[in-house]
Amino acid sequence: MKMKFNLDVEKCVACGACAVACMDQNDIDPAKGQTPYRRVGVLEPERGSGALRYLSIACMHCDDAPCIPACPVCCISKDERGMTVYDNTLCIGCRSCAMACPYGAPEYSENGRMNKCHGCTVRQQYGYAPACVQVCPTKALTLTPDEE
Amino acid sequence: MTELERKIKAKIPGEDTGISIKKTMCDICTPLCHCGIDAYVKDGEVIKIEGTAGHPMNGGVLCTKGANNRAYIYREDRIKTPLRRTGERGGESFEPITWDEAYSEIAAKLLGTKRTYGANSVVFYSGYDKWYRFMLQRLAFDFGTINYGAESSTCFTANRMAWMTMTGKFARPDMPNAQLYLAWSSATHYSRFNVANNIDNFKRRGGKVIIVDPRITPAVQRCADLHLRVKPGTDGLLANCIAGLIIKKGLHDAEYIEKYVHGFEEYAQYVCSLDIAEVSRVTTVPQELIERAAEMIGTTKPMSVENSPGSLIHQTNGYQTARAVFALSVITGNYNNVGGNLPLDFTFCEQGAGFKTSDEQFAVETMPSGYENRVGAARFPVWGKLITQIQCTDLARQILEGEPYPLKCLVAHGMNYRMFPDSGYMRRAIEKLDFFVDIDLFMTDTARLADIVLPACSSFEREEFKVYPGGFARYYMPAIEPLGEARNDARIIQELCARLGIEDEYLLSGYRKCIEHVIEGCGVTVDELIAADAPVKVPNMMKFTPRGYIDHGCATPSGKLELYSELIASCGAGLEPLPKYYPPSARPSEEFPFILLTGVRVANVIHTRLHGVSWARALRPYPAADISPEDAERLGISAGDKICLYNEHGEIEVRANPTAAVAAGQVFMFHDYSEADVSRLLDRNALDAYSGFPGYKSAVCGIRKVEEGESV
Repeated sequence: MKMKFNLDVEKCVACGACAVACMDQNDIDPAKGQTPYRRVGVLEPERGSGALRYLSIACMHCDDAPCIPACPVCCISKDERGMTVYDNTLCIGCRSCAMACPYGAPEYSENGRMNKCHGCTVRQQYGYAPACVQVCPTKALTLTPDEE
Repeated sequence: MTELERKIKAKIPGEDTGISIKKTMCDICTPLCHCGIDAYVKDGEVIKIEGTAGHPMNGGVLCTKGANNRAYIYREDRIKTPLRRTGERGGESFEPITWDEAYSEIAAKLLGTKRTYGANSVVFYSGYDKWYRFMLQRLAFDFGTINYGAESSTCFTANRMAWMTMTGKFARPDMPNAQLYLAWSSATHYSRFNVANNIDNFKRRGGKVIIVDPRITPAVQRCADLHLRVKPGTDGLLANCIAGLIIKKGLHDAEYIEKYVHGFEEYAQYVCSLDIAEVSRVTTVPQELIERAAEMIGTTKPMSVENSPGSLIHQTNGYQTARAVFALSVITGNYNNVGGNLPLDFTFCEQGAGFKTSDEQFAVETMPSGYENRVGAARFPVWGKLITQIQCTDLARQILEGEPYPLKCLVAHGMNYRMFPDSGYMRRAIEKLDFFVDIDLFMTDTARLADIVLPACSSFEREEFKVYPGGFARYYMPAIEPLGEARNDARIIQELCARLGIEDEYLLSGYRKCIEHVIEGCGVTVDELIAADAPVKVPNMMKFTPRGYIDHGCATPSGKLELYSELIASCGAGLEPLPKYYPPSARPSEEFPFILLTGVRVANVIHTRLHGVSWARALRPYPAADISPEDAERLGISAGDKICLYNEHGEIEVRANPTAAVAAGQVFMFHDYSEADVSRLLDRNALDAYSGFPGYKSAVCGIRKVEEGESV
């Protein structure tokens, strides 16, 4: 079944628990310059009054993911859950996927290869929620069947 | 990649992957939480964590701090063996020693000091956590010293004192049954997410919310029907003014007051004398909003009041402010009624769970005579009358001055000298000690000052009894072996007890026996709890009867709810029995135009504990001060710029984080960074005269941009 990530911006407070859970799940070490696949931020209101907005953002696992055709060595693909997954053993570090991605999801590790959110697709396969969804203390971040 | 390799990489538990789930708990933040954790363990090592599904505290989720547990317990600076200092205090020179050597040295030094200077010259201290404190206090008393203290003497306890002064007991909000929730200063989304979720649920079922907070927090944006954006430190004036308006409009509960309240006339005379226009000017809260708050509080019943464990009381007028806020619950007849504020008897380790253990009695039953002479009790007489511990804010002074008697040795679990105002003062005091033992997980800046350092265990490496609201008890077993030669704090207390030659059958029999003893009568045993490996509902719960406590007579001098405190009146001149407002110790000036608030919660760290964890750091890489966009623009400061916070006590360099959450003229700075220790900017004598609490949020400072090439 196709799944999708949702963020309820009325519940998110940009606390960053999702980013930390992502680092725990994926053994990401910021001391080595690595970054979590999910990031949070506070959007300040334009001048003076207005509400502060809170966001958590990662790969959107787009239906028609522009990173897939952008990759010259075909590292990136869609799986049966609709997650945009990748095998970076072939990655040549050309950054075409990063240029194609409107959300800035692809990152590059010390060895120059691309990494990004894989939707914890293996966890999903075995009945576990993605780490970021599982941890979210306000339940702002969810994974639901893609009805379309 | 084979399917098994994919599963191992994704950390899927199972026999094939060799990954098992062990149930444990987080103890990074306040013991009011201590959420359940599923530790994914492979070959004796934690490789991932998650919240425990169905746990009464966290129900499967975790906060930002809790999510850091794996990186926290495996921090690189974990201490693996006992250490003896071989170089200067504060340096890096330590040599590993055996536990036997460490205990021999500690016992010889403590017993020798006791012989020369008396037992009271030895101080026992606990930082975070609290789980072993009932044993540590008893050990101190068994040893013969009256001087046992904890970090709680700067955290939460002043709230307890304020409720005790008025009602004889601590109290909690009965939010599930309230119609109006008055949250006085609360950053729950970044401190206790479960409270934030409770407020969300409360709103969804139609409850009304008033939030009093100088900042615009997520709770303010989403939950507040009314937000009073008060100027920090003037909250007591605001609360008293609201009380005056309620009384003037006749919205107070006259029948309840007549029957249960002591000193209403003097109180009413004072609060009704406050001029709302003047209050509005001082607090910066518009007059119509103060009136609307009074109307809502006076007419919406029931109402429950909550004040965060450490914000109001971190003003130098915090204790009186807390009393002024809690008085609103009394004059409206909400105290001890359904949906109001309920008297709270702590169950275990200052956590209320609806049943009773005997841990507090266990801790103090060997108390030596002369207890009134403990550190800080004379300087802060209200503290001295209410709290059976030392007031640690007087500790550094007594060590350095030796008055009224000398303090020579300090045995501390998890001490952090940076938490004390003017942190250099406490550091100098520790340096003056004859002997300092620090027991910690990590080689902290404080541990480097110690003569002997003992390695403690994380919550993953020990067994522990916990209680949770709703009547739950839980006994956790270790998820992994202790790292290196680390031992848990309770075992260290037990072993030290033996080496000191103290014949205390409970302490000598160890933690589990002590727990069995203090939970006798609860209707559940340690063995049953261990077998359950899950939170167990305790059968013998205390019964709640509306007005039951006040009908029976309060544990106050008059037996009534005291708006006029006979306890304070008995402390002598200079202290005010009514919850009268007085301004905080420092006010902005031309030289230092900003109010400096330290210690306000942010999502990713708590105290020193996570500053050294790279996952937590990644979210907020630099020490940063939250300032208003208006001030930033005026001073030519952009986000991420280096700025200097300064006042007459010192200066620190931090990054600027301009945010609309903060009002102009205010600076919020998180504490305990080694490289930018904001406690250095705090006045060590800016203390609340009643509670002894530091003015963590009563300071002032200036801000200037640090130019390129300049170093502060």
